Amino acid sequence: MDTQLSRQERMALANRRTGLFIFQLSWIMVFVCLTFVNLQIRGNFASWPPEGVTSLNLFLPTLATAGLLLSAFFVGRGLRALRNHQRAVFLTSWQIALGLGFGFVAIMAYEWLSVPFSEQYSTIFRVMTGFHAVHALVIGIMLALVYHGARSGEYNATRHWAVEGTTKLWYFVVVAWMLFYVILYIV
Amino acid sequence: MGVNTNINLNQQEPAGGQSLSVIWIVVAGLGMIFGGILIATITPSIFPQQASAEAVQVDNLFRFMLAVGGAIFLLVVGVLVFVIVRFRARPGDLADGPPIHGNTTLEMVWTIIPAIIVLVLTVYSYQVWVSIRTLQPIHNSVAAVGQRFAWAFNYVITPEDLPASVTLDQLEEPIRAAVTSEAGMNFSSAQLHTWMGQQMQVSLRTEDVNHAFWIPAMRIKQDLLAGRETSISFTPIEAGTYRIICAELCGSGHGNMAGTVGFNDDLQGAWLIVHPDEVTYLREFYEPEAAKVLFPPEDPALRGRQILVGAAYPCATCHVLDDLGWVGNIGPNLNNIGVRAATRVSGLTADQYLRNSIRHPGDYLVPGYSNLMPQFNAVAGEANYMPDTDLDAIVAYLLTQQQ
Amino acid sequence: MATISRPLPGAAIPAAKQLRLSDYLRWSVDHKIIGVQYMATAFFFFLFGGALAMMIRWELLTPTLDVMSDGTAYNQLFTMHASIMIFMWIIPMMAGFGNYLVPLMLGAKDMAFPWLNALAFWLIVPAGALMILGYFAGQAEAGWTAYPPLSTIYSLGDGQTFWAFALHLLGISSILGAINFIVTIKNMRPEGMGYFQMPLFCWAILATSIIIVLATPFLAGALTLLILDRVAGTAFFDPSRGGDVLVWQNVFWFYSHPAVYIMVLPGFGILSEVLSVHARKPVFGYRALALSSMAIALLGFTVWAHHMFTSMTPELRIPFMVTSMIIAVPTGIKIFSWLGTLWGGKIHFTPAMLFALGFLSMFVIGGISGVMLAAVPFDIHVHDTYFVVSHLHFVLFGGSVFAIYAGMYHWWPKVTGRMLNANLGKLHFALTYVGFFFTFFPQHIVGMLGMPRRVAVYAPEFQTLNIIISVAAFLLGISTFVLLYAMALSLSNGKRAGANPWRALTLEWATTSPPPTHNFHGDPVPYRDPYGYGTESAFRYLEDVDRRYGVGERDDDKVPVPALRGSGD
Repeated sequence: MDTQLSRQERMALANRRTGLFIFQLSWIMVFVCLTFVNLQIRGNFASWPPEGVTSLNLFLPTLATAGLLLSAFFVGRGLRALRNHQRAVFLTSWQIALGLGFGFVAIMAYEWLSVPFSEQYSTIFRVMTGFHAVHALVIGIMLALVYHGARSGEYNATRHWAVEGTTKLWYFVVVAWMLFYVILYIV
Repeated sequence: MGVNTNINLNQQEPAGGQSLSVIWIVVAGLGMIFGGILIATITPSIFPQQASAEAVQVDNLFRFMLAVGGAIFLLVVGVLVFVIVRFRARPGDLADGPPIHGNTTLEMVWTIIPAIIVLVLTVYSYQVWVSIRTLQPIHNSVAAVGQRFAWAFNYVITPEDLPASVTLDQLEEPIRAAVTSEAGMNFSSAQLHTWMGQQMQVSLRTEDVNHAFWIPAMRIKQDLLAGRETSISFTPIEAGTYRIICAELCGSGHGNMAGTVGFNDDLQGAWLIVHPDEVTYLREFYEPEAAKVLFPPEDPALRGRQILVGAAYPCATCHVLDDLGWVGNIGPNLNNIGVRAATRVSGLTADQYLRNSIRHPGDYLVPGYSNLMPQFNAVAGEANYMPDTDLDAIVAYLLTQQQ
Repeated sequence: MATISRPLPGAAIPAAKQLRLSDYLRWSVDHKIIGVQYMATAFFFFLFGGALAMMIRWELLTPTLDVMSDGTAYNQLFTMHASIMIFMWIIPMMAGFGNYLVPLMLGAKDMAFPWLNALAFWLIVPAGALMILGYFAGQAEAGWTAYPPLSTIYSLGDGQTFWAFALHLLGISSILGAINFIVTIKNMRPEGMGYFQMPLFCWAILATSIIIVLATPFLAGALTLLILDRVAGTAFFDPSRGGDVLVWQNVFWFYSHPAVYIMVLPGFGILSEVLSVHARKPVFGYRALALSSMAIALLGFTVWAHHMFTSMTPELRIPFMVTSMIIAVPTGIKIFSWLGTLWGGKIHFTPAMLFALGFLSMFVIGGISGVMLAAVPFDIHVHDTYFVVSHLHFVLFGGSVFAIYAGMYHWWPKVTGRMLNANLGKLHFALTYVGFFFTFFPQHIVGMLGMPRRVAVYAPEFQTLNIIISVAAFLLGISTFVLLYAMALSLSNGKRAGANPWRALTLEWATTSPPPTHNFHGDPVPYRDPYGYGTESAFRYLEDVDRRYGVGERDDDKVPVPALRGSGD
């Protein structure tokens, strides 16, 4: 199974890589759109948050974000390890990444549920984080499924498209979140 | 592979052919230009009357664009016709044409010339734009309110604007307080009045959805956006009456939200009326209308009739009511409503039913009609605000409709 | 110089397996079947949307409301007419052309992701069902532009929500298709076919797909907010609760302006193919045509607020005027390049060429009225009037639909193996051209004179023009039946087309008609120049194709002659 890729396999891999890249380029635009919506809505208010509305918490989401960035590091480390025939390092790295990812979702879910209601400020926050959470969950579950398959020996150093693909998708989740984090908490 | 940029003619040019081609190009070019100008002369006949200073500028800009566009059209269609005639394949001729892939010079020419044309148009349009927009607020200002499906124009009476023969102490107390208050006293009319030569500004507010305020004769248009106040200004240069039209889809009555002409050639709905001068404006519109609200009739029914005629509320768009000349076809007929209202819902008197129908129109829908009537609320600041005093008067009037 | 490899002696080209109707009604990952599925479905919705247009024009014969039961019913007519024509006719039809032709033009066996391709098509079925279901739940009535608060608080039926979900599905379908096209074009071109050696139709699809992947997500964003406002009680577009109606307008138009280029760029690609083949001449200015498509795709993202000149912040009007004027330049380059293609050629008045010529004459009018609309002072007068309706139909019907018709006549023989009757095609063209022009040209005038759009009720002085428009529209409607008849006649009894009835050089013609399941017999080698007409080697290549893949039934006088001597090689 560890033989060189055939021409057909190489072609399929090239197609998948290009396809995934274009998909991500496309899909980030929805996040850009929501960012734009956030900016236009807040432009209508004298202050943001508006009068009488409490600001979002900063500490927990920042912690969660740090965890998410760390998870990206571990996911990438796992992919590199797999390519280097270091199966054990791959599996451990992904274990950590999954844990961190789950932690991120848990913290943000808590934020989502506990933010006090306001017509625009909390609503746009919830739409943005909720939309992102759907992606984090779906892609997180994909990561978990691929991890499970990897434990059963499904992938090796030459044939591991699922690992590569889900790694890149997880990067996408992180990049999208960084955009939202900046807009929601920093700017 | 790639682009072959050599022109590869497969026939020898006849002697003197070069200069002949140049002559043809010059002739064609002149034909284009004069043709374009000729086409542009139809401009006045496809515009409404040119009744504002803005209209003159817009029409001239359009005339220029039509001349240029017309010339380009003649060029393209001219070439097409020439090509169809000159280069059609004769029957049985299945040979190919010459393998010409392009001509860099020609391609640069037809990139640069359109770019220049577009630049000229942009600059000219910008100049017209700068001259027709206004930056400073203007004294002669009217507040327009758009709601589904009629326009109302609100005029202000302040102590300085009182009609000549009227003094403050002649006014009843609540009315005097309104006139001397900071905002002045409002009265509304279905028509927009102004006079010639005076730049006028209209502030625009909507009670419900987005509308758009358009006066074709003035060539001006501005959207009314829910939650915002916008404004538009123009300077009439011809006295006359000009239709006002809603130009943003607002619902089932969108097409009705425009001025119409009634059976007796009377103007119904939204019209701009430009009086020849301020004196006429005051004499024929402002002072009589101001007098009606400064000295309202004692009889509530008459007061109600006055309110409805003043079109502060958009009833005319939807209802038929012969006494007021209403021909709306969206809502139930109001003729004889003074009698019928008592029979509509058991337990409700005519008075109660009418009040309820205005404050909560969705409660008792007449069979065959949809729930489209706006709800007229009793609290100032809410959408479709109708104070209780107005409601009382309107109901009193409607109760008199017993024919 | 590359040629088709000679067949082994005695080897026969296997006849293509005849496909049955049932093959097209079920799930298939073959791009050719999917292409036909797209095109047939789109054409069905073209007829549906056209019927709605006939109702609109019937109503507009008189200045009062007397056909539809009320204003709401009328508003539903044009809302669905536009929504269906845009999202269920033109966009999927162009996707259908792309699906069928791009792999063939690139010598590939199929698209990069055949399964995804099928999924993208089948998303259209529930989307169409939702659109139609809207009629039973209170159909959408706020125009295809669905401005809130009319489309939120004031649209009480569920049809508007179904509409939004349907558009979501169509958007996803569109994006999946576009990803497929980009990857196929990028990765699956044959040896020797660089970007600047591929057919211009592929360039057009590439540019279109780039727009789709970048812009459609904004539509998804807008629709999501609309749905939330309608069903989840949010207030993104409710100013009384802090919302803003301009958010919708900006986000919606950020997609919907590039959307018009999605609708027309593939048409531009079809034009280049048809003009070159039927005038027997190389495309003039290939590189300019290819790059101008990309320029239009990118510039198209900078102009959106010209749809909002009367509602946007006044200060921003001028920048958008500038960008809108600029985009006229690459479009003009195309028109002149196409004229250059025709000049000096050997023009055959096939129905495909007739519609291409029709495109050139009508699209230029649409382009000119577009530049006029870019001029802010003029736009302020004609925004939301029939002038805009006229402009959009000149570019979308006089442009896109004429190009679609040209493409249909051009590629019908390849897809079905039969010819469409040329005389019927000419009749179709004549009726369409006359009907189209007299339907839409007077609309410029009636709009400038003072008739707004989206009304069933208008000032009586416009009735004469409206009657002319409506009668011409009925003629336009009737013209469609000529095409339907021609298609039916061709399928049942049309002349066999052979591999390459138009003697074209692009690779889709170097195989039987219809192509076999794997598209080609052996490994296809493209001719060095997809538009290399007028040379000895092109003639020899075409003879080769005829010999290998068979000629159809031809009329007696149409015997090919050798290429011109001394015409360059």
